[in-house]
Amino acid sequence: MGVSAEAEKLARVRLNFFACYKSDWLLRLIDLYGGAAELLKRPPAEIAAEGGVMPETAERLAAQTGAADPEKELLAAEKAGVAVLTVLDEGYPELLKKIYDPPLVIYLRGEFKPVPAAAIVGTRKATPYGLRTAGRLAGELAAAGVAVVSGLARGVDTAAHQAAVAAGGETWAALGAGLNVIYPPENRKLADKIVEKGGAVLSEFPLDQGPLPQNFPRRNRIISGLSLATVVVEGGFQSGALITARFALDQGREVLAVPGPVDSPMSRGPNYFIKNGAYPAENAEDIIACFPSEYLFGLRPAKAEAAIGPSEAALRNLSPDALEAYKAIAGDEGGLNADEITARLAWQVQRAAAALFELETTSLVLSRNGRYNKAY
Amino acid sequence: MLSKLRTLCLKGIDGFQVNAEVYIAAGLPAYVVVGLPDAAVKEAKDRVVAAVRNSGFDFPSKRITVNLAPAEIKKAGTHFDLPIALGVLAASGKLGKKPPAALEDTFFIGELALDGALRPVAGVLPMLLALKELGKTAVVPAGNSAEAAVSGIKCLSAASLKEVADWLTGAAELKPCAAQENKPAAGAPAGDFSEVKGQPFAKRALEIAAAGFHNIILVGPPGAGKSMLARRFGALLPSMNFDEALETTKLYSVSGLGLAGRLVRERPFREPHHTISDAALIGGGASPRPGEVSLAHNGVLFLDEFPEFSRPAIEALREPLEAWKVTVSRVKESVAYPARFLLVAAMNPCPCGYLGHPTRDCACTPLQVHKYRAKVSGPILDRIDLQVQLSPVKYADWEAIPRGEPSAVIAARVMKAIEIQRARFKGGHARANAFMAGAELRRHCALPEGASSVLETAMNKLGFSARSLDKILKISRTIADLEGAAAIKREHVIEAVQYRMLDKSSVPTFGGI
Repeated sequence: MGVSAEAEKLARVRLNFFACYKSDWLLRLIDLYGGAAELLKRPPAEIAAEGGVMPETAERLAAQTGAADPEKELLAAEKAGVAVLTVLDEGYPELLKKIYDPPLVIYLRGEFKPVPAAAIVGTRKATPYGLRTAGRLAGELAAAGVAVVSGLARGVDTAAHQAAVAAGGETWAALGAGLNVIYPPENRKLADKIVEKGGAVLSEFPLDQGPLPQNFPRRNRIISGLSLATVVVEGGFQSGALITARFALDQGREVLAVPGPVDSPMSRGPNYFIKNGAYPAENAEDIIACFPSEYLFGLRPAKAEAAIGPSEAALRNLSPDALEAYKAIAGDEGGLNADEITARLAWQVQRAAAALFELETTSLVLSRNGRYNKAY
Repeated sequence: MLSKLRTLCLKGIDGFQVNAEVYIAAGLPAYVVVGLPDAAVKEAKDRVVAAVRNSGFDFPSKRITVNLAPAEIKKAGTHFDLPIALGVLAASGKLGKKPPAALEDTFFIGELALDGALRPVAGVLPMLLALKELGKTAVVPAGNSAEAAVSGIKCLSAASLKEVADWLTGAAELKPCAAQENKPAAGAPAGDFSEVKGQPFAKRALEIAAAGFHNIILVGPPGAGKSMLARRFGALLPSMNFDEALETTKLYSVSGLGLAGRLVRERPFREPHHTISDAALIGGGASPRPGEVSLAHNGVLFLDEFPEFSRPAIEALREPLEAWKVTVSRVKESVAYPARFLLVAAMNPCPCGYLGHPTRDCACTPLQVHKYRAKVSGPILDRIDLQVQLSPVKYADWEAIPRGEPSAVIAARVMKAIEIQRARFKGGHARANAFMAGAELRRHCALPEGASSVLETAMNKLGFSARSLDKILKISRTIADLEGAAAIKREHVIEAVQYRMLDKSSVPTFGGI
C-alpha cells in the first residue's frame, strides 16, 4: 500500500468531515480501495463508476473532504485534551468495532476502562418515575462495576449519568454534536464531571460540529454498540430511545425494558418491547444476568431485594419530621411542593423547611422546579 | 417704577427662595422675563395680562422687565404667575403710592386663571419647608391650603388675585390655612393577609421581608396569587413616622399628586406596568420629575412580570437599590430624589408560566427557561435577598385550608423584629438586616456550632453559589429576630435556605451531581 499509518489516520479524519446521514457506504468504499488515503486520491468520476455512488454524491464527497483541514483538527483536539481514535488505533472499544458500521473516527475525552457496559436510554420528557428508576438502575450498575452508557440528553440520560457519577462508577456519554459543542448546554458541567470521575465523553462528529437533528439518531448506534445490553426506561413510540433499542437488536445485543404504568404515555415504548420479548428490568441484577458469561468476572451486583426504595438504614437515620414528610412525598405520584407538604401535615413553615432540607440533602427526595419527588 | 417680591422654587424635592423683581419703564410696550425661566414661566405673561385686567386693574402698556433671582438657577413651574402679577401691580402703583410693607415680607405662590382666580400648584409643601427657620408668612392658592398647613409654616390662602391685592392694601383679610382631617386616601382597601389561602411559604417570606427590609421576588405561575399577596404586603410594614411621612408627601407634592392636601400617612404602594420607560421608572424628563421609585419612597415598589420590564428599566434600578436615591443630571442642573423602597418583584417560573405546576405541563426547554431568567441580570438579582416559589392552590385543597393569620398579627411580630434591629444598628450605617455588609455582617451573623455545615451542604448538594451565602446569613438574622433569639440557630439557617429558590441549579440533580 505504501501509506503510513499516520497518513491513513489523517485521511480518515478528513473523510469524517463529510456530512452524511449514514456512514456505512464510506466504510464500504474504504474496503474497496484498501484505505481512506487511497479513496481520497481517486477522482469523483472513478468513485462513482466503481463504487456504485451517485456522481453528485461523489462530487460532494470530494469537495467537502477537500475543504477539511484534518491537521488543524488534530492539533485542536490535542490542545483540548481530546483523543482521536480510528478503528486502526489501540483504545478503540472492541465491542464498537464489531457493529455493522463503526464510526470512522471517535473523539474522546476521558478514557474507556476495560469494563462491561450497559446503556440506559429513555425520553427527554421523563416522568418522576422514569427519572428515579433510571437513576436507581444506573447507580446500581455503576456500583456493581458496569459502565453506564447514555447520550447526555435531558431527562432519563441525565438522570442515568448523574446517578452513575454519584455512585462513584463509570459512565460514558455518546454525543450527537462535536465535543466543543456539548449539547444540551446545561449539561456541560455534568460532562466535565463524568470525565473528572474517570468516565468518557465521546462523539463521532468533528469537534465544532453543532447539534443537527439528523445526527442524533445516528449516534444512538454508538450507545448500543458500546454496550452489552440496552435498557429502555421510558419513551413514547416516537422516542429516540426506541431507535437505540432497535440498533441494539440489529447489533445482536440484549434489549431490556423497564415496565411502566400502563396509563402513562411514556410507558408505551418499554411496554411494547416487553410484549415483544424484551426482558423486564427491575434492577441491576436483571440487566447483568443478560450479559454473556465471559463478562461477568469481577462484577458485584447488589442483592435484588435491597434495591427497591431507600435502604432501611437511610430511613432509620431520619428525624421523625423528615420521615413523616418523606412518607407524604413518596405517597404522591406527582410529587408535592413545599406549600402542599406544609398544608397536608398542618405544619408551620419552619418545620416543613427543616424536614425538606434534611430529605433533600440526604438525597432521599429530588427537587425539580419546586416539586419534591422521592428519589428511589 | 421698580417692585421687589419674594417667592419660592423647587430644586429636586427641596425648595429655595427666589426674588422676583419687576421693573416698568417707558418705551415701546414689551414684556421680558430673565433669570433662566422655562416655557411655563414665560407663558405666565399671557395669563398675568388677562388676570390683571379681569381683576379690575389696568395692565400698563409699557416696557416690563421681570427678573427672577438667583438668575443662574433654572426655574420651572406656573406658580410664578401670582408674584409677577403682584409685582406688575405694585410697580405700576396700583397697590398704593408706596408698595405695602407686607409685599417684601411675604412669599407668594400661585398660578393664575385668566379670570384672576388662583389655581393650586404642585410642590407647595417642599417649597414652604424652605421657610421653616425664617418665621415668614406665605400666601398660597386656596386649593393648596390643606397641603400648606402640613408644613407648619404660617400660611394664608387666597382664592383670587383680587383678594391678595385687597389684603396687601389692607382692604380685606385672608384666611389662614387650616389642616384638613387626615382621612385615608380614597380607593380600594388594601385587603388583609387572612384573605389569601394557602401559600404559607410566600407569606412567611413576606413577613421576613417586612421585618428585615429585604427585597423579595415571588416566582410562580399565573393565578398563584403573586399580585394578591404583594398588594397586601404594605399592611405588614410599620406606619411611617412624621419625618418619613413628610418626605413622602414632599415627593407626592412635587409630582403634583399631593393635591388631595394631606400628609401621606400610609406607606406608598406603587405598581407600574411593565411597559414603563426607564425615565418614568426612576425619574427624569427635560425638567426632572421624580419617577415611580421615588414615589415608592418609604413604601413598596411592586414590579409584576419582572423580566418583561425593559432591560434599561431593570438596570436603572441599580442606583436606587444601592444608594436609596436617584440622581437625575441635566446640563444646567442635577437633582437627587430619595428612593428608599422595598422591592417586591414577581415573575413566572418560565416563559409559558407552568414550570413546576402541579397539573399543567410546561412547554419550555431548559434553555428557554434559562434565557427568561437571565433577563433579570445578576447585579439586580444580587440585591434581592428573598426568592420564593408560589404554586396555585388545588381546588380540592381550597376548602380544607383554614384562613390565614390576619395582617395585624403578622405586623406585630414584624414590629418586634424591627425594634430589635433599631437597637442593634443604633448609630451604625445599616438600618435593617438587609443592609448589613462586611464587618457588620460578620459581627451580627456569627453562626453557631453545626450551622456552618448547613451552608456547606447547601453549596455542595443543592448547587448554591458562594454569593448566596451572605443572603442566607442576612435572612437567618431576620428569622432569628422574628423569634426574638439573640443568636442565629441552626434551624434559622435551614429555613433561610428555602428562600433562595432561584439559586438552586435548574437542572434536576441527583445526589448533588
